[in-house]
Amino acid sequence: MKPPLNKFAAILALTLAALCLTPSAWADGKQKIAVVVSTMNNPWFVVLADSARDRAIELGYDATIFDSQNDTAKEAANFENLIAGGYGAVLFNPTDANGSIANVRKAKAAGVPVFCIDREINATDAATAQLLSDNYAGCVKLGQYFVKTVGQTGTYVELLGLVGDNNTWNRSKGFHSVVDRFPGLKMVAQQSGEFDRAKGLEVMESMLQAHPDINAAFCGNDAMAMGAYQALLAAGKAGQVKVFGFDGADDVLKLIAAGGIEATGMQFPKTMARQAAEFADAYLKGKRDFPQKVPVEVQLVTRDNVAKYGDFGKK
Amino acid sequence: MRVVRCLIALVVVAGFFRFFPLFHVERLKTAAEQAATVFNAQQFAETFWTGKLLPAISSSSVKAAVLLPAIKADAAAARKKYSHGAGLGDTYFYFVSGSGRATSVSDDEVSLRVTDGGNEAEVSIQTGLIFGDALRDGTGLLNPSDFSNSQNFNDISAALDHIAESRVIPALRKQAKVGATIFFAGCAEVDDESTDLKPLKVIPIQTVLQ
Repeated sequence: MKPPLNKFAAILALTLAALCLTPSAWADGKQKIAVVVSTMNNPWFVVLADSARDRAIELGYDATIFDSQNDTAKEAANFENLIAGGYGAVLFNPTDANGSIANVRKAKAAGVPVFCIDREINATDAATAQLLSDNYAGCVKLGQYFVKTVGQTGTYVELLGLVGDNNTWNRSKGFHSVVDRFPGLKMVAQQSGEFDRAKGLEVMESMLQAHPDINAAFCGNDAMAMGAYQALLAAGKAGQVKVFGFDGADDVLKLIAAGGIEATGMQFPKTMARQAAEFADAYLKGKRDFPQKVPVEVQLVTRDNVAKYGDFGKK
Repeated sequence: MRVVRCLIALVVVAGFFRFFPLFHVERLKTAAEQAATVFNAQQFAETFWTGKLLPAISSSSVKAAVLLPAIKADAAAARKKYSHGAGLGDTYFYFVSGSGRATSVSDDEVSLRVTDGGNEAEVSIQTGLIFGDALRDGTGLLNPSDFSNSQNFNDISAALDHIAESRVIPALRKQAKVGATIFFAGCAEVDDESTDLKPLKVIPIQTVLQ
């Protein structure tokens, strides 16, 4: 018969081994924050994710970026990993307003607070807070400027973003809430460019073949505006067709200054990302009363005021 | 004998899963149930307009005779004391009411001179096409956190703008003549202080010829 002390030592060793394998909420003595972003294949989202990560690091956390590659399955896997990895909070840019809710609920059930950035989820009882660009108001301003520059008559095309994303429709509805009031302005084509530059180029090329005489193109983000501009350049129509974007990307600001693109809506990805990291920090220090939705203003950028903007914000 | 044993095992397993099923089958929502959950912005706006917005004029709006001199004296202090606006950004709103004498009338605006004691100031009542979120956000009565889908919240803006355009503004256009004294209540959006405060541009919720 083995002495009972050996049995106790074995149990202790197993317990210690199990503890070593259990994920820790701390890395090198620092608590961990996850930044889960819809895609790192678009410079705007890279800025959003980097800003969130950098602010979390400034606040004393160990922060890691998880790329969902615009795929809800990858996003779900990211959440599984970060929950298992013992992360203390998530700064989250969702891929789908409805499809991402389950991931947020899973994190909440595991005691991990989630702070949505830029894109919302269609639930107010899952995330701790959501910091969202006021896309609708931004596109009301863009719509008003569109009418001012294009005039009250003419034809135009619209390049939509991802059709499952609320931002796509908030932008489109804000724009149309103004432009549709002018019956002389007719939309001759509307198609998704999936918020992607290459897709925007491709869609614009086919739209130009069907409608060579359009006066303007309203694009749901700056990546598609760049693609549309590229298609217009190739067709020898740059300058004839007025292009409008949304985001405030640096390459579009340069084109606005040069006269290639008419206007964009400046979102403030750095402001949103930093505020989300600060919310997470406050949560981890005990604060619990957060507003569920915090709208972040979008500002109209035109050739008249473009000098005031740059580096994804106001200079 | 083997068959009997198999039958007994089958009965036991079936009995177990009868009381502890692996999954439940639930009826999907009917089309009518789904339709009932669809947000009706027009209906919401109507209820909000009559049930909350109009009653709030007397209880929550700031008097023009107070606000306009305060803006003139110190715009930042006036903003801090009287404005509404949730979130991060430079845009803010005023919910304002008062009486003034019409000094000019055009297709897009009625200018009113508000006089109180020794103070005189001008407001511009907007009578053209109405866009944006001033009527939704200008009073502080609606909170974006109460709406799970921001598209619904945004649809409210368009619906409120439509009520102002279709009911309030046509009546004002009929009443407004230079020299007439008009009571007004409404919301003003301040996006750029250099233009939007000089004069304050008010989207009307209510106007009354006095």
